[in-house]
Amino acid sequence: MTREVEWKSAEDEKLPIVMPGILDIPGDGGQPSLLGGSCPSCGVRYFPRPPRCRRCLGPVEESSVGAEGTVYSFTVIRTRAPLGLPEPYAIGYVDLKESGLRVFCLLDPQAVEEFRIGVPVRLAVGALGHNVHGSSCLRPYFMAPAPGPGGVA
Amino acid sequence: MGAACVAGVGLIPFGKHVERTLVDMGSEAAYRALQDAGIEPSRVGLGVFACAAAPRLLGEVTSGQNIFWEVGINRIPIVNVENACTSGSTGFVLAYNAIAAGQVDVAIVVGAEKLCIPGVGLLNSGETELDTQMGMVTPAGFAMRATRYIHEFGASAAQLASVAVKNRAHAVLNPYAHFREAVTLEEVLSSPTVADPLTRMQCCPMSDGAAAVVLCSQEEARRRRRTVGVKAAILCTGSYDNPADLDRWETDYRGCNQGYEAAGIGPEDLHVVECHDAFTIAEILHYEALGLCGPGEGANLAVRGETRLGGRIPVNVSGGLIGRGHPPGATGLAQVHEIVTQLRGEGGARQVRNAKVGLAHCMGGDKDGDTKSFTAIVLAS
Ligand SMILES: [Zn+2]
Repeated sequence: MTREVEWKSAEDEKLPIVMPGILDIPGDGGQPSLLGGSCPSCGVRYFPRPPRCRRCLGPVEESSVGAEGTVYSFTVIRTRAPLGLPEPYAIGYVDLKESGLRVFCLLDPQAVEEFRIGVPVRLAVGALGHNVHGSSCLRPYFMAPAPGPGGVA
Repeated sequence: MGAACVAGVGLIPFGKHVERTLVDMGSEAAYRALQDAGIEPSRVGLGVFACAAAPRLLGEVTSGQNIFWEVGINRIPIVNVENACTSGSTGFVLAYNAIAAGQVDVAIVVGAEKLCIPGVGLLNSGETELDTQMGMVTPAGFAMRATRYIHEFGASAAQLASVAVKNRAHAVLNPYAHFREAVTLEEVLSSPTVADPLTRMQCCPMSDGAAAVVLCSQEEARRRRRTVGVKAAILCTGSYDNPADLDRWETDYRGCNQGYEAAGIGPEDLHVVECHDAFTIAEILHYEALGLCGPGEGANLAVRGETRLGGRIPVNVSGGLIGRGHPPGATGLAQVHEIVTQLRGEGGARQVRNAKVGLAHCMGGDKDGDTKSFTAIVLAS
């Protein structure tokens, strides 16, 4: 029982993001990154951005928490997928280089068998499943770097 | 501590009870606990009803008042509690605290659940949470703990699976258990994979069922036989610190230590443990948090048979969540039922010899790689 990933390309930009305020997607097709927050007075970083700092209860500024990191742990879910996600689909915790945060995220649905603890990954965004309202939406996911000459993604 | 005692316990067999209602199951467990305690309904000063998911699934509210009235309990304060898988044990903590504070002499806690409803899928920790929207489902959170555990400590998938073989073997001896057939290691490993590396038989089933406990003050206990002392009843919450260590579960260690401290004992003083084995890896991590072995040694502890009935420290002789079944609202009280049964020496074929001190450990809900709720209840005969 496999559900194919539905890839839309040109239309993708028009789709809503699964949850507002979690992604920075540059208009020029550049590298997207996860948007979180940081507290200007105590320096705590957050993903996603909370309404106020949980340590000092002050305001939290929007800031990128990163686009690259390494896999801390992962799994492939082989039972019925929620939210119209592909079957199977992979998820994991990624340690972000930029902020040191350990974030939970989807992993590349086209390479679910490829992930291992410690592999470097980079953020991508694509049309993946549906949102709470049942319509197609964009979700972030981490990709393993493409193999081959150079090896750097 | 030790301000309250368990006067009576009641349980109905766990399983798929499609034809039974929440009120029907809950009130039967309450009736059994009152009978076991030999306490008149009119003596009860507080009623707590615990349920995790059924009220939302069924669209019911304040089910507790319906349940307690079925066993002649009315007029007194009734509280309805939801705390995921620790709903029942959270109710126990509230009842214990009310007695310890001298507010009431007798309190009853009922936990019931009805999950076997056509069309109902996996539970999550709130659809507005980002984790849920990114595909987090409960087995996956534990599968990632397992992946990391295997990586860090060199454990094998078969070692994890051995926990399911043990708990299913225990469940054969428990007439209240959801599953009554033993399984082999090969069967556990070859059952369909839910989330790598966890196979279906390494995940607890969704069950229907109910459990109830009657608590009373020390003074009330002096007039009764078969009471069991409560040495500690701890409830705490996750830290949600980032980064979360998936295999050295801070909340689990912290909660277990609070329980030991309150009871004035250590892990070496325990004779029997019921822990929250929602998944095989969970039981292994709980061994370590409970101090039954060191960090990274849990998988070996399971394989060596030390936690089996007849072993050094039997864990989940009821069958645990994996064998006895898991109606989340009832689970925390079913654990108390088992420990009380063991400390009374009434465990029959699954009796742990000379069990005098036992601990019921429960965790519920997921948030940011942590648990939302933790309970530890220490009982002594
Ligand atoms: Zn702050």
